Amino acid sequence: MDALIVIFLTGLIGLFVGMLKKPMLNLLVTMIGLVLAFFLQLNNGLYTSPLAKYQVLEFNISQLYFSLLAIAFCMLIVLAGYQYFKRDAIHTGDYYGLLLFSLCGAICLIGFTDLFMFFLGLEILSIPIYVMVGIKKQDVLSAEASIKYFFTGAFATAILLFGIALLYGATGSFNLVEIRGIIQSGEYQPTFLFIGILFILGAFLFKVGAVPFHFWGPDVYQGAPEIVTAFMATVVKLAALLAFFKLFNGTFQDLAYFWIGALYFAIILSLFVGYLGALKQTKFKRLLAYSSISNTGYALFALLSLSNSAIGSLWIFLVGYGCATIALLTISMAIHNENDEISSFKGIGYKNPFIGFIMIISLLSLAGIPPLTGFFGKFALLMNAYPQHLYLVILALISSAIGAFLYLRLIVLSLSKDTDTESVAMSSWHYIVLGICAVGILGAWLVVAI
Amino acid sequence: MELLIIPLVFGLISLILPSSWSKLIGGVGAIASLALACVHLNGFDPLTQTILASSNKMAFGLTFNFGYDAFGLVMVMLTNAIIPIILLSNWNRELANNKLFTALVFFMQLGLLGLFTAQDGMLFYIFWEFTLIPIFLLLYWFGAKENNKVLFKFFIYTLIGSLAMLLALIALGSSANSFAYADLKNVQLTQEVACWIMSGFLLAFAIKIPLFPFHTWQPATYTSSPMAGTMLLSALMLKMALFGMIKWMLPLTSEGIEIMKWPVIILGTIGIIYGAIIAIKQNDIKTLFAFASISHLGLIAAGIMLFNTAAWSGAVIQIINHSLISIGLFLAADILEKRSGTRNLSELGGIAKLAPRFGFWFAVTVFAALSIPFSAGFIGEFILIKELFNFHLIVGILAATSLILGAVYMLRSYQLSMFGAPKISSFEDLSWNEIAVFIILSLLILGIGLCSSQIIEYTEPAFRVLTENLTSNQQIIE
Repeated sequence: MDALIVIFLTGLIGLFVGMLKKPMLNLLVTMIGLVLAFFLQLNNGLYTSPLAKYQVLEFNISQLYFSLLAIAFCMLIVLAGYQYFKRDAIHTGDYYGLLLFSLCGAICLIGFTDLFMFFLGLEILSIPIYVMVGIKKQDVLSAEASIKYFFTGAFATAILLFGIALLYGATGSFNLVEIRGIIQSGEYQPTFLFIGILFILGAFLFKVGAVPFHFWGPDVYQGAPEIVTAFMATVVKLAALLAFFKLFNGTFQDLAYFWIGALYFAIILSLFVGYLGALKQTKFKRLLAYSSISNTGYALFALLSLSNSAIGSLWIFLVGYGCATIALLTISMAIHNENDEISSFKGIGYKNPFIGFIMIISLLSLAGIPPLTGFFGKFALLMNAYPQHLYLVILALISSAIGAFLYLRLIVLSLSKDTDTESVAMSSWHYIVLGICAVGILGAWLVVAI
Repeated sequence: MELLIIPLVFGLISLILPSSWSKLIGGVGAIASLALACVHLNGFDPLTQTILASSNKMAFGLTFNFGYDAFGLVMVMLTNAIIPIILLSNWNRELANNKLFTALVFFMQLGLLGLFTAQDGMLFYIFWEFTLIPIFLLLYWFGAKENNKVLFKFFIYTLIGSLAMLLALIALGSSANSFAYADLKNVQLTQEVACWIMSGFLLAFAIKIPLFPFHTWQPATYTSSPMAGTMLLSALMLKMALFGMIKWMLPLTSEGIEIMKWPVIILGTIGIIYGAIIAIKQNDIKTLFAFASISHLGLIAAGIMLFNTAAWSGAVIQIINHSLISIGLFLAADILEKRSGTRNLSELGGIAKLAPRFGFWFAVTVFAALSIPFSAGFIGEFILIKELFNFHLIVGILAATSLILGAVYMLRSYQLSMFGAPKISSFEDLSWNEIAVFIILSLLILGIGLCSSQIIEYTEPAFRVLTENLTSNQQIIE
């Protein structure tokens, strides 16, 4: 809870510091706020918060881990984006403020115990993003992405709200624990409840960007600045997935027979539509958007296990996926890939061995090649799902092979020997971010060993 | 554990230091690994198992267990002996002066050693996949230009196989609740499940070996690879699959052996004949050796599927022998290609006159590949063919044709390139390091041929432990 307040205040301060037009100061304030929030969250539960006692936000151990991960990703993104923010001095403060407000929403979404808080969190998460996607005002693509994301997002929110209303009508409660109790006791209005759950499911699939509600993904990812894309692909996805997991695997667990079929359908389609769609792309961010659809499909395996044991697997998976995505987008920023062509990656890995190394490990991690974190994530998720869902696991492995082909093409391109790219001068911020991402990608062994 | 750490450390060192050091680092690292393996060999009692590292369960049922039995140690020795030979054969080439190359070879060695010593299913899989990364980069950076298509085929093929193996391992591991070798071996499977799991493993191994219908990646990959890449592939990476069959696939899923035996042996036999016939018609010398390799390995794979200690002893000797001769053959092929500018047999001829030393040592290698008596291949092939005869007369007869067909394509390739009227004006003779490689190989082949009974005795206890499961199963059935 304290962390949430700290993040919010930092964002607010950031807005005002931004008026001074000193990007370095802004970065400093933001980082201090995030680090403070990180440690407050790390020590959550070890002390009683003097600031606030609310019942609607609660962090148990696994949710703490997720919120720490979200804060850490946000720090990486802030660092990686410094160069970009600096160029646009008038809006630096806006960026930092909006990023942090959105992070507040993510934290709410991770810790909610109540559908009311859940809805608030989702909105706090989404609204700053609508703005940030369109922050390149002169760029047509960016404006288009913003409009597209806003309208579809608003529509999804409306459906979600409708779903929550129906759910309330059916059970008479907003509280997750109470709802679960009512579902278990069977004293509910079945029609309303089922329609409500279906609506909520649809809205969630939209938020995490799973097929069949994925159409906004490629356009929005492509239009948004890299830094916002990175935020959407990691923090937003993480928060939405966790909320998804909590609601469906926790509260609606006893109705699994009802929603699991729909989820099955969404997972299978996501796995294949994502990678198959990515094969034909020539724009880098579009490709990442498609690959993130497939990765979402993998992450949704966590929901199939119908037990809390899958949450650790989901965490490891998201560490691998998030670090790799941030690393790739940082590289794309570092080489000033303004027109977003994949071909501009040609040979940079060979010219600059550090970038090459990061490219190799992050792409192989996405492809799920051991001994990288991405492999452990996928493996753990499949392991959890295996006993009941054999055919889904087989399909996931097949799609994994398609994905490997996709990522391999990128690796080969970036390691190509014949190239006219000059070696890239990267800022030290980028080195730091890439270094931390590399630790995340290679460090799964530590987690597994614990 | 030092076994694994040495290649890792040397790989990292050679990445950091400039390329002018890499020859030295390569030499020192390879010799150090070999010396360490000899120390392990010296302190090992073949009746026991050595545990290098063990730890309790980690997340997802993984364990951190490393160790080897006699068979594992033989494979470790083979790896550590082959790596210096590969580096030595590249000594005078430009590759040896490249730090990336040296580092990748060491990472490859790390992957292989990890694979041969892993005592945990997941570790086995991790190292199995890990080896793919260095070999892919090696082939990509130092192979023929425009070989992307071939490489993708190679990578995706092997990856699909590995994913099938991953599924098989997940299936086994989730019923054992652990991936430790001992736990996996204790799982009791019904025959049907065992067949499915075995086919998962088999797909991975059949692609890597490669068995007959899965071989299409191989010839193209061999011809477009740099020499060191081809050597690593044929001398070591293929052996991973054979090792996996003996150590992992058959003991873990022995319940399904009765059903799965026939298809694999038939495919192996087809491979023997098919590979040989294609090799006879080949004019490209590297492709010829690639198909010859398919033929040789089909025999080994068929022998392994017999699942008895005698056939496995033959297989071990043939595994070592094939590693050695494939290095010799691909070195010879590469020398031919580099110095005459062509791999096409019809454009070669009379080289024995221009380069007598090369002519002699190439002949020695060819005779070793023909498995003449006193060479290691003679013992290996003899045992394997004998066991196949015991198994089934027709299979035995078909397998035995490999001896005759082998003579045809090997002698043909030698005759066309070495004898006849010279078609090339000049041909530089062998340099000292190439002669050294040929001498070492010939001595090893001869030595193993003469001491084969010691090797058979050495590995037999390990094989008896591995085949135990089957015999106990049969007793249950009886």
